[in-house]
Amino acid sequence: MLNIQTRQEGTASVVSIQGKVNFEVTAQLRDVIRETVATAQPKLLVINLEGVSFIDSSGLGLLVAARNSVDKSGGKLHLSCLPAPVKKTFDQTNLTNYFSIFATEQDALRGA
Amino acid sequence: MAKGTVLVVDDEAPIRDILSFYLKRAGYQVLTAAHGVEALEEMGRSRPDLIISDLRMPEMPGDELCKRVKSDPATRDIYFIILSALDGTASRIGGLSLGADDMIPKPFHAQEVLAKVDSTFRLIEMQKEIKRQNKELTAFQQRVQEEMELAAALQMGLLPKLPGEAPGSTYTHRYLPAAGIGGDIYAILPLPDGCTAMMIADVSGHGVTAALISAMVKTSFENQVRLGGEPLAWAHGMNEDLCRSTLAEQFATAWLGRLDPVANRIRYVVAGHCAPLRIVGGTRGGLQRSEVLRGKGFMLGLDEQLPFLEHEAEFLPGDRLVLYTDGLVEVERDDRTMLEEAGLRRICAELPVGAEEAAEAVITQARAYNQPAPFVDDVTLVILDRKA
Repeated sequence: MLNIQTRQEGTASVVSIQGKVNFEVTAQLRDVIRETVATAQPKLLVINLEGVSFIDSSGLGLLVAARNSVDKSGGKLHLSCLPAPVKKTFDQTNLTNYFSIFATEQDALRGA
Repeated sequence: MAKGTVLVVDDEAPIRDILSFYLKRAGYQVLTAAHGVEALEEMGRSRPDLIISDLRMPEMPGDELCKRVKSDPATRDIYFIILSALDGTASRIGGLSLGADDMIPKPFHAQEVLAKVDSTFRLIEMQKEIKRQNKELTAFQQRVQEEMELAAALQMGLLPKLPGEAPGSTYTHRYLPAAGIGGDIYAILPLPDGCTAMMIADVSGHGVTAALISAMVKTSFENQVRLGGEPLAWAHGMNEDLCRSTLAEQFATAWLGRLDPVANRIRYVVAGHCAPLRIVGGTRGGLQRSEVLRGKGFMLGLDEQLPFLEHEAEFLPGDRLVLYTDGLVEVERDDRTMLEEAGLRRICAELPVGAEEAAEAVITQARAYNQPAPFVDDVTLVILDRKA
C-alpha cells in the first residue's frame, strides 16, 4: 500500500509518499501527480520520498515522466529526502544527475 | 409473449385457481400441480422459471419437492418460493434452510404474491444477464489467455538457442517471466573480428507492453552491433531508438558489453542495469572470488541527449560472467530484507563447474533465500563461461 499526501506551499505543491513504489502502485501515484499538476499548476513540484522503502523501475519511470511533464508546463520538479536504498537505485541508474535532489523538504522548497 | 413460466403447487384447488387467475392476467404462463409428485411430472414436460409451492401436501410435501429441485443440477437454478401457513421467523428460516429462495406466509393476498413474482422475475432477468456476460467474459479471457501463451512462446523464441556457443565461450540462461510474458531480454552475438557482443536488458513494467518493447530493444541492439563500433556507440544508438519509439514511462535498463578474447578484456556500458559479476576462474569450480563490473549510466529511453560512459574490465580464459536482471535479487522477504548484489556474490562464491549446473544452483539458492516469497518480477540469468 502506498500512502500519498499532497499540500500547497505558496506556489509550490508538495507530494509526500510513504511505502513501496512498484508496478502495482504506479497507477495510483500517477493519478495523484497528474491531478496535482493539472489543478494546482505549481511553479515547483516537490516530491518527498522520505517514507519510500523501495522503488522499482516503473516507479523511476513515473518520476522521469513527471519531471518531463512539469518541464513542459514551465515548472520545476525537486525531489527531497531520499532514503539510502532509494539513493542507491538513483545512483545506479545515474538519475542522481537527472533530477534536482535535496536533503530536506525545506531545501527543496527554497531551491526553486 | 409470456413474461415467464410459473409452476403453482398446492393441494387446495381454490388456491391454485386464484393464483393462476392473477398470474395469467399479469401475463405469466402458469402450470399447476396438486403435490410434489405431480409437480415433478409437470417439470418433466416443461421447465418453469419459478415454482410457488405449498408446504403441506399429500404424496410429496413442499419441503421434499424443494430439496429435489435444489439438489438436481438441471433444476437448481429455478426460483423456489414456499407458501406456508406456518408463520413466524422460525418456519421462515426453516424454509430457507431447505434451499428455498423465498417464503410467503399464509394467509396471503394474491396481489402480494403477484408483487413477489414480479420482483423475482426481475431478479431472474438480472441473473440471466449476468450469466450471459459471464459467459462472454470467460470466452474473452480464454482468447486472451491463448494469445498470451502464443506470445510467450514467440518471446522464448527471441532468446538465444541453448546450449549457447560464442567464440571461445559457452553460455546458458534461465528465463522466468513474472506474467507468462515479460520485459527481460538478452542477446549474445559473434562479431566478424572474433569478439562477442553481449546485451541484457530489463524493460520497465510487465506484460505485453514490456514484451513488445523488449523485442524492439533486441532488434535495436542487433542493428547497432551491425553498424560496428563499441558499446558506447551502441548505447547511444539504442537510446535514440527507444526515445523515439516509446511512451513517457517506458524505458529499459541495460548492460552492453564487447568481449575481446585476444586482449582478454570486456568493454562495457552500464545503462542503469545491475552490474554483472565476473567470477575469476569461475569455470574451474571450488571457492571463487567475484568482481563487480560496475559503472554508472542512465537507463535507455529517458532522453536523447543523455550521455553514457564506457568502462573496461579484464576477462581471462576460465573466467565466468554472470549477467542478471534485478528480479533475481530484489524479492522482499517477510523480514523486509532482499538478496541484493551482496547475496548473489555470496551464492557465486562457490558454484559448480558447468554453466548449466551453475545457473541451476543460482536460481535454486536465490529462491531458497526468498522463501516463502516467490519471484515477483521477471527474472533472467545468463552465465557465460570463457573456455580455459
